[in-house]
Amino acid sequence: MQTLAVVLALLALAPFLWLLLMSFKTNAEIFRFPPRLLFDATLANYAALWTSEFRNSFANSLIVSVASTVLSLVIGVPAAYALSRWTGRGGGTITLWILASRMAPPIAFTIPYFLVYRHLELLDTLTGLIVIYLTFNLSLVIWMMRPFYDQLPRSLEEAAWIDGATLWQGFYRIILPLSGPGLAATAILCFLFAWNDFFFALILTRTEAMTAPVAVVNFMNYEGWEWGRIAAGGTMIMLPVLVFSFVVRRYLVHGLTGGALKG
Amino acid sequence: MNGPSRRAVLRGGAGLSALASGVLAAPAVIAQGKPFAGTTINASCFQTTFFEYLKSYFPQFEDKTGIKVNFNMQAFPVYNQRTDLELSTKGSALDVVNATFIYTGRWIGAGWLTSLDAFTKDPKMTPADWAPEDFVAGTQSAMQNAKGETFAFSWEGGAMIQSAARYDLIEKAGLAMPTTFDELIKVCDATHGKEGVSAFTADKLHHWNWIPYLMGAGGGVFKAPPENLTPTLNTPQAAQSGEWYANLLMKYGPDGLLSYSDDQAMRSQMSGRANIRTQSITWMVPLAKHAESTVQKTVRYGLMPSGPAGNFAGCNSHGLGIPAGSKKKEAAWEFIKWALSKETLAMVVKDHGYPSVCRLSIINSREFKNVLTLNGQDVASLYLEVLKLGGKSGYMKYRTVPIYPQVGDKINKAIERIATKQQAAPEALKQAQAEAIQDLQKAGIKVDL
Repeated sequence: MQTLAVVLALLALAPFLWLLLMSFKTNAEIFRFPPRLLFDATLANYAALWTSEFRNSFANSLIVSVASTVLSLVIGVPAAYALSRWTGRGGGTITLWILASRMAPPIAFTIPYFLVYRHLELLDTLTGLIVIYLTFNLSLVIWMMRPFYDQLPRSLEEAAWIDGATLWQGFYRIILPLSGPGLAATAILCFLFAWNDFFFALILTRTEAMTAPVAVVNFMNYEGWEWGRIAAGGTMIMLPVLVFSFVVRRYLVHGLTGGALKG
Repeated sequence: MNGPSRRAVLRGGAGLSALASGVLAAPAVIAQGKPFAGTTINASCFQTTFFEYLKSYFPQFEDKTGIKVNFNMQAFPVYNQRTDLELSTKGSALDVVNATFIYTGRWIGAGWLTSLDAFTKDPKMTPADWAPEDFVAGTQSAMQNAKGETFAFSWEGGAMIQSAARYDLIEKAGLAMPTTFDELIKVCDATHGKEGVSAFTADKLHHWNWIPYLMGAGGGVFKAPPENLTPTLNTPQAAQSGEWYANLLMKYGPDGLLSYSDDQAMRSQMSGRANIRTQSITWMVPLAKHAESTVQKTVRYGLMPSGPAGNFAGCNSHGLGIPAGSKKKEAAWEFIKWALSKETLAMVVKDHGYPSVCRLSIINSREFKNVLTLNGQDVASLYLEVLKLGGKSGYMKYRTVPIYPQVGDKINKAIERIATKQQAAPEALKQAQAEAIQDLQKAGIKVDL
């Protein structure tokens, strides 16, 4: 059974390992046939990334992804809590409308976003990208976090209120720490959405706010592709997600299944 | 304490006015030789060596005109996507754009580019020796509308020629560069697998690579483009040619060929894994010149083979134009005029060996002949012959109709289905025909049914 698991894991990882190996090869080595597993590794592709525009794009990706994730959580988590505790009519309708931004494919929003952004002079700005990702991530945060809060017994915060805590203190000191796994899972999904996005970054940026996924495509020159740099860029793009996922993996599994337990 | 007298104030004021007028007048005097001083234009194109080379001369242009050029390059699909959106919304963010061949029909037809005739016909704006007629007609045809107005000037001509990376294998088999479709098969049969080399290679852009073979076999994509865009993919000629081409790919191509990009096909030749390819000169010259090429000494070139109906080598071009929404059109024209002048192009050819220029005077120059004399072969003449061929009969008009990207996609899929034996050629191409008609009808284009 263990052998089978290892084989399956290797099969699943094979494309990534291939990409990683490519990133340490010269173009000539990449196209050697049959390919060699042992070769003279080079860091030239990574060095070339560092001296190209990719460095700025990578920084842009980090800034935009972290900022949009943090903002989505800051706005979305209290909103999810409020909707969870809403006892009046209309809570469900509001939650459904919040999902509206996810109801159509991104291409449907392209022209309106482009025109509005041009009018507001938000094209090719980090702020513009953060706002776009925020609008999409907010619904994700609310829809993922609301079931967590639904699970938590109201008696917990009521006990805090009896002890003199305010509504905000009850949420901040009692409820929020209990939703750690859910927050981790939601944060990573928000980060992934912003980090991996190609479409909006393609349409709404030019040079200044270009993100890493778009910058990698720019190594596909008209007369020839820079395979080594594409592989190195791809590896660099995978790296933060891998590290982040590894760090929060315990919470991630718990968080992704946590909301499904209710009912 | 006495304040300043009225006379002193007036005198001081007059002095200041004189000083101010002198200071303000100064730039106008300085700028007389540079009427565009202080102007910045935004230009954009896909990533290409031509503009990498050209960028090194930008200081000359800026010194001469005072115009600062903010030139941005992106990957081919990225550029096309962004520019299509920018032009379609009549934005003013770009002043000079590359008119991409496959989009010229759409961009010119929709009025998104500025007619350049007003600039070229005004002697104050364009000196006579700039000579618009010096651009090869074949490369300019895609840059004009039905009335003959010009919307862009070509900087790159893509002429489809034939290369044999391992011509030595062909010689060893006692054969020569194939000149007909039948000879191509004969050469492939005789050389395939020799020394581990596949006889033929191509990339997956069948809607570019297959069409010359389709036309050579007497077929076509549309009935009479651009006037009549009824697809003709369900004809016996198309079925026969589709079958023939798919066989060429699968029988003589290296493993994985059906997923090859342009670059992978070129690398398969450069590494000596594959021999013959028919493609634009842009991807052929590196076989002889690229430092990583292992076939520099063995590569030879020839014209695209002819079919029973003739030679229809693919021919395309990319040009520089001005968006309709640009607010700096005169400065933009100054840039295009400089970038594509005889002097600038001569510099790019001389200093960098750029092989795809479109001015006749440059193509016929000694420098250009030197650049494109590869292994003793006069490839410059092949290049010019194909460019002229493309312009003469207008057979490339199928490719610049606005709907071609969608129809081309159906052709790609049909050839893949034939090559992988998912469908027989007649069925695959009938399906492509039906899908293409749907696309045309969705776009409101009338077809004969």
